[in-house]
Amino acid sequence: MNPVLQRSALLDRPPFGPREDETLLAELLALTHRHLAGCPEYAAMWPDWSGAEALTELPFVHTTVFKHMRLRTEGEGIAHQREVRSSATSGQAPSAISLDAHSAERQAVSTRAVLEDFLDPHPRPLVVLDSASALRSRALGARTAAALALRPLSSDLRFVLGAPEDPESLDWDAVLATLGDGDELLVYGFTWMLWLGWAQADVPERLREVRVDFVHSGGWKKLETISVAREEFDSALLATVGAGSRVLDYYGMTEQIGMIFPLCPHGVRHVPTWGDVLVRDPWTLEPLPPGEVGMLQLLNVLALGAPYHSVLSEDVGQLVPGPCACGRGGRTFVLDGRVPKAELRGCANA
Amino acid sequence: MREVIQVFDAGTRRTAVVLPFALAEILDDWGAVRRAMRGPVPEPFVRDEWAYLMSFVGDAQLRSVFTATFGQPAPDGPADVLAAPREPVAVWLPNNVTLLGPLIAVLLSLPGAATTIKIGSNAEDLVRPFIAWLREHAPEGPLASWLRERVELLAVERDDPLHATLAREAAVRIAFGSDEGVDGIEALPHPATSQGFAFGDRRSEAWVSSARAAEPGICDTLVRVFGIYGQVGCTAPRRVVVIDGSPEDARALRDRLVCRWPEIVPARPAMHIASANLAACQEAAVAGWDPVLVDDHRAMVACGPASAPVIESVQSLFITAANTAEATSTAPANLQTIGHALEDPGSSEWTSAVLRSGAERFVPVARMHHFGPIWDGFAYWRALFREVETVR
Repeated sequence: MNPVLQRSALLDRPPFGPREDETLLAELLALTHRHLAGCPEYAAMWPDWSGAEALTELPFVHTTVFKHMRLRTEGEGIAHQREVRSSATSGQAPSAISLDAHSAERQAVSTRAVLEDFLDPHPRPLVVLDSASALRSRALGARTAAALALRPLSSDLRFVLGAPEDPESLDWDAVLATLGDGDELLVYGFTWMLWLGWAQADVPERLREVRVDFVHSGGWKKLETISVAREEFDSALLATVGAGSRVLDYYGMTEQIGMIFPLCPHGVRHVPTWGDVLVRDPWTLEPLPPGEVGMLQLLNVLALGAPYHSVLSEDVGQLVPGPCACGRGGRTFVLDGRVPKAELRGCANA
Repeated sequence: MREVIQVFDAGTRRTAVVLPFALAEILDDWGAVRRAMRGPVPEPFVRDEWAYLMSFVGDAQLRSVFTATFGQPAPDGPADVLAAPREPVAVWLPNNVTLLGPLIAVLLSLPGAATTIKIGSNAEDLVRPFIAWLREHAPEGPLASWLRERVELLAVERDDPLHATLAREAAVRIAFGSDEGVDGIEALPHPATSQGFAFGDRRSEAWVSSARAAEPGICDTLVRVFGIYGQVGCTAPRRVVVIDGSPEDARALRDRLVCRWPEIVPARPAMHIASANLAACQEAAVAGWDPVLVDDHRAMVACGPASAPVIESVQSLFITAANTAEATSTAPANLQTIGHALEDPGSSEWTSAVLRSGAERFVPVARMHHFGPIWDGFAYWRALFREVETVR
């Protein structure tokens, strides 16, 4: 088997153990060469790149490119399957990422390892704030893909929205049927959907006897517009369910599928050992030290079917120095939001 | 209402223009406004925008609107045509409108007709602050009266029934916006005898000879003309064609532009512009261009073949070398303005090329953004007047 297709050695390590950046660099270099050889668009973007001696020297694809182009790496052992599409908020085109079996396997391992570190690993019923109709789409939505990534932690899975974009269509009977006689539940939803569909709803009394792990992603933008703070969000959710329940917020991008960055109780996001986060100056691309805010470049060893192993995002954040008080090792960062956009002032006709 | 007649003579035809004020009075008012504009640049205008507005409201500039339309001022006497303002006038401006809003407001002040300007409901625009500034600074006189009594600004949502009311009642409709937006406005029921002008989505280019492309002044002008709004400006060149040049000429121009850009546009761009330029750089490379980022990602400038598609990104400029036939065949279908820097732009060769290109304007590069009484090929300003044939 092509060595690049072999399982990454890093995926066998604990997600938040000591970092092995030499191994990471070697694997990312191999991936980069593979994508340069198999993806002509990627090769056109980096015609003069010859190698890297540090993670900061690895080429990247700007996240916007995935909104305008379908990048695919062809090569031995890669069979392209479905696409995953981002939720395309703010009127922009959605990003599209080509999935393949090898990458999907790595992504599942990655997600499971990270979530098991933050949540109890034993299986329990999973309810997803999405509609089952999303599964029938040829292209998988980011929300559905994120929900399916939780499957390894679930004993049963149910999509509980009647309409995919309407959190108030949450079918509580379906939630209770999925729960059955159990006393534990895993719930996934986009942040704003959990707020509107669950935290603001009349939740059945039965759920007050149930320990629930809420997992959410997708960002705070919609909640910021209605002034919902994280503390209010968490406490509103936890007030509806039983003792010992938890809320886990993670950051992830469609262009980094399989890589998730959970928020620990100390307010920072943890980077698994099989990836990295760099912070770059938006005007010079110089890598920035901890404490300085810039654009996030996200790296992973999971992406074989397209060059999304190194993506310059339009998310803004900063690295956090030193070890985290939560006890997890490795790199940590704070996500500060998106690159601020302003209305483009132009001629009327543009 | 007053009726003041000013006669203009276009040689074969004399026109008696009937205004609600003496032309000299409103020009004097604009002169006073212009003097007041020498003060601090008000928010949210930038210096270049304010400077352009100042030149636009100059006496000669405003008089030229009349002379270009009706001829030279002439002594009172018999006329072949009486021209009186149509009213009411309705203008639709989209959310991101820039100087077009203030500029058209200036030109609409000259006939003095009752005017409603629909502005963006949820965005920064320039016409609202400009009208507010004028109401504060215009001296008492016909301009102040027009601003106070005859101009209404209307901020409504896209589906507001007031759009239909405006269209139904207006004698003249002037709509700027996307093709879809202006089509929607034109589709609203309106009087059969009314005049309608729909200014939709257009693109512009600069055509530069290889000799003139090497002139430092042309390079700087291109940066200025493009840099102020980038691709968001319909009159800004998205593509510069080095006519009859070589790929090396295009590359040399790209490199000069990249070198000069920080001198001419010293401010760092907003973070999202810097990011968009980087993305455009990658997309341009995929599309066959050879892109370079200006320092601090102020802009992306790429050279490449005329057949390569222009990437849509606000501060991305594309340079190609082509002969006239290639320039014409690869120009966008909705070409509005060709800004020229050529040895002999008046030659018949260019007349023919411009007609084939479908462009509506062929002007020096430095004048690409200049707005006037004819736009996109339509003499809309003349249509602000009802013309009565008079045979005596």
